[in-house]
Formats: sequence, C-alpha cells, structure tokens
Amino acid sequence: VGKKVKDLGYSRFAAEASHAEVCISPGVPMEGPPPASQAATLGEPQSLPFSPMDAPQASPSPQALSDEGDMRALLLEEEEDCACQAQSAAQAQPGLAPPTPAQLVQKAHELMWYVLVKDQRKMVIWFPDIVKDVIGSYKKWCRSILKRTSIILARVFGLHLRLTNLHTMEFSLVKALEPEELDRMALSNHMPMTGLLLMILSLIYVKGRGARESAVWNVLRILGLRPWRKHSTFADVRKVITEEFVQQNYLKYQRVPYVEPPEYEFFWGPRACREITKMQIMEFLSRVFKKDPQAWPSRYREALQEARALREAETIAHAFRSSISED
Amino acid sequence: VPSSMQCGTRRMGVMTDVHRRFLQLLMTHGVLEEQAVKRLQKHCYKVHDCNATVEKLEDFINNINSVLESLCIEVKKGVTEDDGRPIYALVNLATTSVSKMASDFAENELDLFRKALELIIDSESGFASSTNILNLVDQLKGKKMRKKEAEQVLQKFVQNKWLIEKEGEFTLHSRAILEMEQYIRATYPDSVKMCNICHSLLIQGQSCETCGIRMHLPCVAKYFRSSSEPRCPHCNDCWPHEIPEIFNPEKEREAGTSSSNKKSLRSRQH
Repeated sequence: VGKKVKDLGYSRFAAEASHAEVCISPGVPMEGPPPASQAATLGEPQSLPFSPMDAPQASPSPQALSDEGDMRALLLEEEEDCACQAQSAAQAQPGLAPPTPAQLVQKAHELMWYVLVKDQRKMVIWFPDIVKDVIGSYKKWCRSILKRTSIILARVFGLHLRLTNLHTMEFSLVKALEPEELDRMALSNHMPMTGLLLMILSLIYVKGRGARESAVWNVLRILGLRPWRKHSTFADVRKVITEEFVQQNYLKYQRVPYVEPPEYEFFWGPRACREITKMQIMEFLSRVFKKDPQAWPSRYREALQEARALREAETIAHAFRSSISED
Repeated sequence: VPSSMQCGTRRMGVMTDVHRRFLQLLMTHGVLEEQAVKRLQKHCYKVHDCNATVEKLEDFINNINSVLESLCIEVKKGVTEDDGRPIYALVNLATTSVSKMASDFAENELDLFRKALELIIDSESGFASSTNILNLVDQLKGKKMRKKEAEQVLQKFVQNKWLIEKEGEFTLHSRAILEMEQYIRATYPDSVKMCNICHSLLIQGQSCETCGIRMHLPCVAKYFRSSSEPRCPHCNDCWPHEIPEIFNPEKEREAGTSSSNKKSLRSRQH
C-alpha cells in the first residue's frame, strides 16, 4: 500500500467509440464468486492514434514514500510497545539504558546492510525478522531507526524501503523513479509505451482475470499493431509486451496450463500493482472510450475502494508525521 | 531528493543517480570483475547522464567511498588469488563476526562455515577437502546435521559466493576474502597467513621452502616479472616454484580471448 505515481497524464485519443460495446463480467476478485459466463472485452474503437503523452507529475519525495510504508508497520509495533511497557512497569523489569545517538545511527547502518543483503539474495524482508535480527533490544526506537535507514537508502542507493504487504508485513526495496528520469522518459520515445501498457492492463482489469494473448492482439490489431509487423513508434510490439514489459515487472506473461497447443496469457505484474491505481485505469478507459467510468460498474466500485484505502493510509501517515518529534 | 541529511554524515561527496544506480547494480551482483564494473559504470552514465564524460573508475569509486565511509561500507577492490583478476564488491566493514551471514543461514550452517573456514586457514594449500569438513558435522552447534545435508549446505555457500569448490576441495571465494579479511585476521591471528609482498590476507599462494614466507600467485607474477632467476625476497634462496601467468587486461583485449583460455596454475604449490 505505497503511494502511486499520480496522474500519468494521457492526452485524449481520437476515438470513434460511440458505437463501441463494452461487455462487463462481474469479474473475479481475489476471494470473490466465480465469474459469470460472459466474457469481458474492451470496446472496439475504430482508430486510436497514439499521441505523445503529457509529462507526468513528479513522484512524491522519497521521504514521504518511505514514511508512509514505515508508519503502518510502526503503528502496529507502537501498540505492541505500549502493551509491553505497561507490562514491564508492572513487573519492574531492569531498565535498559537508553542508547546513545551514535548507537542508534549504528543500528540504522546495520539495518541498511541487512535489507540490502536480503534483497540481493531475493529473500523476503519480513518486519518481525527485522525486529528480531537487527533492532533487538532497541525496540522502542524502532521507528527512528527505520526512518533513518529509509533516508540513507534513498539518498545513497536511490532505493525506497517500502511496506509492500500490510498483511504479511513484508518490506521491499523499490527503485525510486526520480523526477528527472520521468522527464527524460517523457522526452524520449518511452511514453507512448505507457498507452500500450495501459491498454493491456485495462483489458486484464476489466476481464477480472488474465488476458489471453489472442485477446490482447484482437485489441491491438484494431490499433494497427500486429505481432509480425514492425511499427513506426513501437518497433517490435510483440517483443515489447512479452519481454520488455515483463522484464520491467509491469506484466506477467505465463503459459496457460493444460492447454494444447500452447497459449499464453498476461497478468498485472508487481510493478504495475505498485505504480498504477485502479482509478487511473478507469480514467484511461473513460478517456479512450468516451464513457463514464460507471459503464464498468463493478470495476469502478473496486477502484473507489482502493482510492479510499489509499486516502486513509495517507491520512494516518500525515497525522503520524505531524505528531512525531524530530530524530 | 531530500536536501538535508540528518544521519550523522558530515563529509558527503556528491551522489547522483549515476552513482546510486551503480551501487544498486553492484549490490545486486555481489562481486564483479573489473571489466564488468567498467561496463556497469558506462551503463549508469548512459541511463542517467548520457552527456557527461565517464569518470575514471578509480576516481569514481573513491568518490562513492567517501560517501559510504560513514556508513561503514565500502566498494572494495581485490584480486582473485588464483589468476590475479581485479574484482570489486560492496562490503560491510562494520560487522566483525561471521554473523554477517547470519540472516541467511541457520546456526548449524554458520558453524559449518566456521569449521570449513578454520580448516582452510590452517591448511597449507588453502584448500580443505570435502571429507575433512564433513567429518566435523558432529561437532556443530545447533540442530544436528547429517553429512548429506552438510554437502548441500556447502553447495549453498558456493552458490552464494562464500566458497569455491575445485575437485572436491573448498577454498574461500574472493568475495569472502574481500569481505571477511578483517574478521579473519582478528579471529585467527596465529594461524592466518599473510603475503610478503602486498601484506594482505593469504589463503592460496606459493611459499619459500627455506624461510617459509608466502606470496600470492599474482604477487609472485608481478614481483618476478622480469627476473630470469627468481630469488626469495627474504632469504635470497632460489625461488623453487614455477612463476605463474597472470591475468593481463591489455593482452586479453588485443587477443580477444576469454580468461578461460589462459593457463592458470593450480595454486597448490608450497
């Protein structure tokens, strides 16, 4: 539940979608009921030239990003701590001498290395492990240690230590996309790729499950993109969507099990889940097809839910940030 | 990017996205040979600052290290002991015990590594045989480990670049030497071997049969480079071993050959 890249900023597509039909299935939320028999397809706009994208807004400052992730975890820890302290007061445990600032700094460095090694080995960075292996008896100062480590990682390595899964309390090291890089991407030919990517992500989202490669090409064909033909902007489209987007973790490209001859399907990749909100997809869809997002009611509902959750998280983080003292 | 850093670092060099990406990728790879590091550096410039001139690698790394100093980590340069290839790794200087690896391995696995390390340091050749290591399985701290399991753990060490295996024998990976040199020198002051030329930790090398001083193979190659009659720098006796051929980046670039074509001597000469 980290902050998302706000408003990638698409220009309008010249879509002749007035007669486009959009069928929606109830969809398959993670733990929801099985899908209805209707298949979901995106509409069929006649022509959609890709125009250059607007430059997106700068991503929020690394400090804010890591803070938000930290806060959630630390809020949980905070509750535990209060309970512990109440207990220890009652039991009159021998008091620990508070660590010196230098010791806290050293702990932050230890945590930094710990996180880097875990990430290097592709091991899960689990919050309880952090507390057990690194923080140890400095539990009360966990918040400030974590904050300091986040700052160092952002400043020196350009990495964000972010809570990526609140339920399992997993952290990840996420590469920071500096504003300069976004600008550079916008100026180069990379931005049109965003439209292509969003098209596929939207298709997957509306379907509520993986999108078969054949379905994806059905849509792309209408845009004049074909797997065997090189395109003036996208060059080898098939390579872009099955290799580049996959390598960048925006898409997952997997073989459909038990199907002969082999077929493949696309899913959202972890990076797409992190960086792109459902509301952005709804905005994209409504722009492309000139329809109100409520034309996809269940999807719109999901997007609203996600947006609400994000706002809540932001409120908590904001309240927390303004209540804690400086390190 | 936050403009003020309040983490106790006073002397900060200039960190740009070029340096950050370099560190990210170096960390991902663990340890890299110099040629790969140069390519990595060029890549980082290309991605983040394609108009700038690529700084000389040594200066580039020194600049980064000035920033890393207060964090007790360093981009350290070393040389492979068997064929003298320059390598680089991001190492942690602060931790002074094998618990550096603690986040990856269980207690009995760490202890197995410690036992292997001791055998390697005590050995003449710098290698410990698989058999000898496995015979110590009963003495390990923590959960009881069977020999079969221990074999797999040793392979895990090889995969994680802590050990190298050659024909059923194990020695330290150059990355482990880079990272653990201080720890090893502090923990085994009596049994640790040092190179007479470069004065760093020596695991594999050649030794003088008369006075017992030791030298790394790359150090031998460099020291006796233009000698027709190699003599021990300490006691002046004839140097009894074959002078090894060592990695030469110039020669390799010209010849266009890979390192596997080069003859690298087995380093079990003493």
